[in-house]
Amino acid sequence: MLKHLSFRQTYWILGVALGMAVVASAAIGAFSFTPAQMVRYLGQAAGWLPAVPGDALGRNVLIGLRLPRVFVAGLTGAVLGVSGTLMQGLFRNPIVEPGLVGTSAGAALGAALVFVLGSGTALAFTHPLGSLAVPMAAFVVGFAATMLVHRVSTSFGTVNVFTLLLAGIAVNAVCGAGTGFLSYIARDPQARNITFWNLGTFTTADWRSVELIGVCFGLSFVWALRYGKALNALMLGENEAAYLGVNPRRLILWLLVVNTIMVAVATAMVGVIAFVGLVIPHVLRMMKSADYNFLLPASALLGAVLMEVIDIIARVIIPPAELPIGIITAVVGAPVFLGILLRQTRRGGAGLHG
Amino acid sequence: MVDLRGVSHQVDRTVILNDITTRFQPNRFNVILGPNGAGKSTLLRVATGLLQPTLGEVRYGDRLVSSFSATALARKRAVLSQHVELAFALSVEDVTLMGRYPHYDRVPSARDRDIVRRALDLVGMHDKRQQQYPTLSGGEQQKVQLARVLAQIWNDGSGARHTYLFLDEPTTSLDVHYQIHLLDVARGLLKHDCTIVAILHDLNIAFQYGDVFFVMDAGRLVHVATDAADLSRDLIERVFQVQAHRIHDPDTGDAVWRFALESSGRSGGTGS
Repeated sequence: MLKHLSFRQTYWILGVALGMAVVASAAIGAFSFTPAQMVRYLGQAAGWLPAVPGDALGRNVLIGLRLPRVFVAGLTGAVLGVSGTLMQGLFRNPIVEPGLVGTSAGAALGAALVFVLGSGTALAFTHPLGSLAVPMAAFVVGFAATMLVHRVSTSFGTVNVFTLLLAGIAVNAVCGAGTGFLSYIARDPQARNITFWNLGTFTTADWRSVELIGVCFGLSFVWALRYGKALNALMLGENEAAYLGVNPRRLILWLLVVNTIMVAVATAMVGVIAFVGLVIPHVLRMMKSADYNFLLPASALLGAVLMEVIDIIARVIIPPAELPIGIITAVVGAPVFLGILLRQTRRGGAGLHG
Repeated sequence: MVDLRGVSHQVDRTVILNDITTRFQPNRFNVILGPNGAGKSTLLRVATGLLQPTLGEVRYGDRLVSSFSATALARKRAVLSQHVELAFALSVEDVTLMGRYPHYDRVPSARDRDIVRRALDLVGMHDKRQQQYPTLSGGEQQKVQLARVLAQIWNDGSGARHTYLFLDEPTTSLDVHYQIHLLDVARGLLKHDCTIVAILHDLNIAFQYGDVFFVMDAGRLVHVATDAADLSRDLIERVFQVQAHRIHDPDTGDAVWRFALESSGRSGGTGS
């Protein structure tokens, strides 16, 4: 439906959609706000309007709880969308996403290691900037896990789908078992919450996590934008890309680094959220184009939109309780995953799309 | 020209290329011939700079291939491989534009766009430029790859610049129409200051299009001929382990080869 628009026009449409999703996400919840209230509370918080004592509760909920949550959700969606795009480019396969290739599970294990075994666990959790050890550990283990899956599934420059799936299952199982064990022995009640690790939640979002995810996403995203051409060239295969002046080994390494930085930090803050990274590039390819110069910015925008919508659903579907994010993403994403897999195996087996 | 000096390559203990010193002629269609496993593909990879040989060196003109940056090398030489499948659906135009990637940073220039258009025109795919690459037939896909490769080393005469085109069995799996078309277009490049080095499996096609022939066997270069007539029947029979018969086209007088296993007297021998 967007086929006839230019890339720039598509970004505008997605940008407007994101704006609307952000406003809606800020307004809707156990505590609802009208647009007028939101403007007033924001004005008071910024000091442009005189603070009215009666507004204190609403203002605190909006500024202290709701807005950080809205931003963390949007940023996480952008991270997962871009990560899915990068990983599908790297593995040259549309079934790939950070949850499948071990990045998320590895990052969760790394974060859990520091959480549970590190000193001052409660401090590490509530003050992410006070303890960069958590995201850094998430990066190291997430990187190792993704690298391992890539190594195992790639032989002679081509990716085998079945080996990829099996390697992903194995690495995810090991990481998941490790995280499960750690949360079982943890004393911190929050670290014991297995839902957080496996299904993701934005309830713990605060301004520090906004800053941390925001900075890591911003840097990684700007960096990733440079690889649009190289990812396109890689569609032809590693050798053909090399003939076009791309150094595949260096490209693969940098993609893994950039991808893991974003995903590790987001996972350390909100837990593992599967399938978003799978669905976003898939939808964009169907709607518009498989050109990575388009997919990279567009997947950030659409990822953020989707995550805001999912977070709204999570908040309103069973009030006053909240549904873990991962339950909704799985319901939406798993059928898409199976659909792509089915089409791929039907079209000609395991080695295809190598 | 492409200068190979003392090129040897081995993987583990297996010698794949054994001390090859030769020169691919400038502005000529150089053909590498040889049976499967003779080391032709490895030689081509070394000559394109993709593979660093265990020993020896490769020069384009008087410059070492290893001294080029990846981008500079990509502007100087292009490689057309056997069959390129695309992991995702891109349009014909997008695929061809990839050939210009080494020439621009973020946004293609008007000249890049123009070259893409002319390259597609040259291979006869301009009308299908908006089509999705995976929906094309194998022959059409290879035409698009040829256009991409042509765009990569496009020489519009604005600067005298010698380029190199390597063809790695590009006609395998193409029907005869597409084979002839591809090689005709490639030969057309010789007029534009280009050196072509090709691996071809069909000997008759090779003799029809080649100018210089490099015969390989078991990792060695066993013979170089500047005329197909210089390739003796003995040599071909020994290297390819077939019975060869040269017959003459009564209309053109061109030599045509027929092959058989042992001395069965029939062409197209029975596979064993």
